[in-house]
Amino acid sequence: MIPPLAQSAALVTVRDLRKTFDVSKPWLERVIDRAPKQFLKAVDGISFDIRKGETFALVGESGSGKSTVARMVVGLLPVSGGEVMVDGVSMSEVANSAARELLRRRIQMIFQDPYASLNPRWRVADIIAEPIRAFKLLDTNKDITDRVGELLTLVGLSPLDRVKFPHQFSGGQRQRVAIARALASNAEFIVCDEPTSALDVSVQAQILNLMRDLQDRLGLTYLFISHNLAVVRHMATSIGVMYLGRLVEVAPAAQLFSAPRHPYTRMLLDAVPDLEMSGRARIPVQGEIPSPINPPTGCTFHPRCPLVNERCRAEAPLPINGVACHAVEEGRDGAMELRKRA
Amino acid sequence: MTQPVLSVRNLEVEFVTRRGLLRAIDKVSFDIAPGEVLGVVGESGAGKSLTGTAIIGLIDPPGRIAGGEVWLKGRRIDNLPKEELRKVRGKRIGMIFQDPLTSLNPLFRISEQLIETIRTHSDMNEAQARARAVGLLTEVGIPAPEKRIDSYPHEFSGGMRQRVVIALALAAEPELIIADEPTTALDVSVQAQIITLIKKLCRERGTAVMLVTHDMGVIAETADRVAVMYAGRIVEIGPVRDVVKHAKHPYAKGLMGAIPTLATAETRLLQIPGSMPRLNAIPAGCAFNPRCAEAFERCRTDRPEYIPVENSQVACWLYDKRQTKREVAA
Repeated sequence: MIPPLAQSAALVTVRDLRKTFDVSKPWLERVIDRAPKQFLKAVDGISFDIRKGETFALVGESGSGKSTVARMVVGLLPVSGGEVMVDGVSMSEVANSAARELLRRRIQMIFQDPYASLNPRWRVADIIAEPIRAFKLLDTNKDITDRVGELLTLVGLSPLDRVKFPHQFSGGQRQRVAIARALASNAEFIVCDEPTSALDVSVQAQILNLMRDLQDRLGLTYLFISHNLAVVRHMATSIGVMYLGRLVEVAPAAQLFSAPRHPYTRMLLDAVPDLEMSGRARIPVQGEIPSPINPPTGCTFHPRCPLVNERCRAEAPLPINGVACHAVEEGRDGAMELRKRA
Repeated sequence: MTQPVLSVRNLEVEFVTRRGLLRAIDKVSFDIAPGEVLGVVGESGAGKSLTGTAIIGLIDPPGRIAGGEVWLKGRRIDNLPKEELRKVRGKRIGMIFQDPLTSLNPLFRISEQLIETIRTHSDMNEAQARARAVGLLTEVGIPAPEKRIDSYPHEFSGGMRQRVVIALALAAEPELIIADEPTTALDVSVQAQIITLIKKLCRERGTAVMLVTHDMGVIAETADRVAVMYAGRIVEIGPVRDVVKHAKHPYAKGLMGAIPTLATAETRLLQIPGSMPRLNAIPAGCAFNPRCAEAFERCRTDRPEYIPVENSQVACWLYDKRQTKREVAA
């Protein structure tokens, strides 16, 4: 087994997680074209820890594999390799299935689109009570009704809203219902996949504030997936930056933003439109994320990297102190600052 | 002062529905000068896209322009007959939409779409139009345009497709470009490329741009002036620096405070209680009054007029009160 990254009371431990999708053409076409099977490595060996009560954020552009990680961590997708451990119990080990079932109720998920994640034909009371009923947490209907009312109050809605249908709510209110449902089974670990991307800024602020308040009150642990760096900055304790299925940099939030080290992280931070209007210098961003079906050799970022050399094209870098980059390892990364000043 | 490229005066757009008349845009007025980028921001349903659509006369029934005027370089265009307006639309006003895949025809090569557009609006022959199309693709930063010009839209990535759409919008050398959420469907790194491109084209060609977006970051980087919309009205319009850094209207202030930025990590985000009213339930007086912490009696009855505050125009009675107070004191 691979040793843990840091000695800590990690609630969630992800080790060498992999996901491969079969994207081959149908069998007959393959036979005719004499084409081999084709695989897409959506997630290619990533490891991280999340300590209790903290927020670990995964950021990256579309196609970097962040949502796939989220779905594997909650068990919506089977893993192709590696391991997800929650509170010391492996989520894929069959021998431990009883312990795993007990863990399931402690893990919940909030999805991006609150219009699609709530059943339009169910009343809010039934939506929120579903985990309670599924895990048989409460027996009588009265207890369940009381609990639903309590949860609605907790997320800033009224207990009277329980008889309404999802379409009677705005996007932000629906996301509150989704949060109440996630909390219904007394979950401790919540995986949030772009929870505010579908919302307007003023509503996004309400939901982000609510999520932080709930974390303080209930000691929740979040895995927070987002493409918005500013949102991540606001929520995360530590951050992992993903590129083409790999973690290129993992660092505490403050450090990642004040002193980003991987060239991709720096580029990403530079690309964020600047509300402060400081008129800071920018490294012109190059190119776009390549197709994961046929990723570049060596370090997958090398075609876009200003610090590329022969080694980067040939050899995939391993994470050292949280950064997977040959240039950083060799101390060649000072060149980027010089370019910026020039 | 030079003549503005676009002048919109008291524009009103209404929708006739079974539940009555909905006013989606209510007395919106603004100017855009040559080479200027006017950012239009607001939340979903504020009427920002609709304003753009109304200017080019593409509002479909049951929607209709109920009042106001649209002037393009001193010529009124909102009352032109359909055919005349069609000529204005491609030739003098270019459009860039949010989703580049749906604004390109998937069945035709990029070359055919560009050449068709160029030839519709000029008297070039096929070869000249093709040369011009290659020139446009070079200008918007597509590598190896001679080869790429014969590709189909699906062969381009999202960012490249948006560049093609920009090339199409530029094809007839318009005086005004209306860009409706041009970067929303793109990743941050590509978004930065597209913003830089729009800024550069605007500067080099002196084209006026109306940039509609909900992303304040994009506005702060691109626009010269900003109009903040709420419930179909402009609540504040002014130079970008003033609006982003020192918003005057309580809604604009709330909106700016609600945006998480890279600089503010630990502070709690400002939040505006509630959400935007539905069009059939817009409150009397100032549309923002039920959510406004500073609302007073007059806000609930009288619709605020535009009041000049520093370099901005603000539709808020708070500023009127202060002025009268100052006058009394004087």
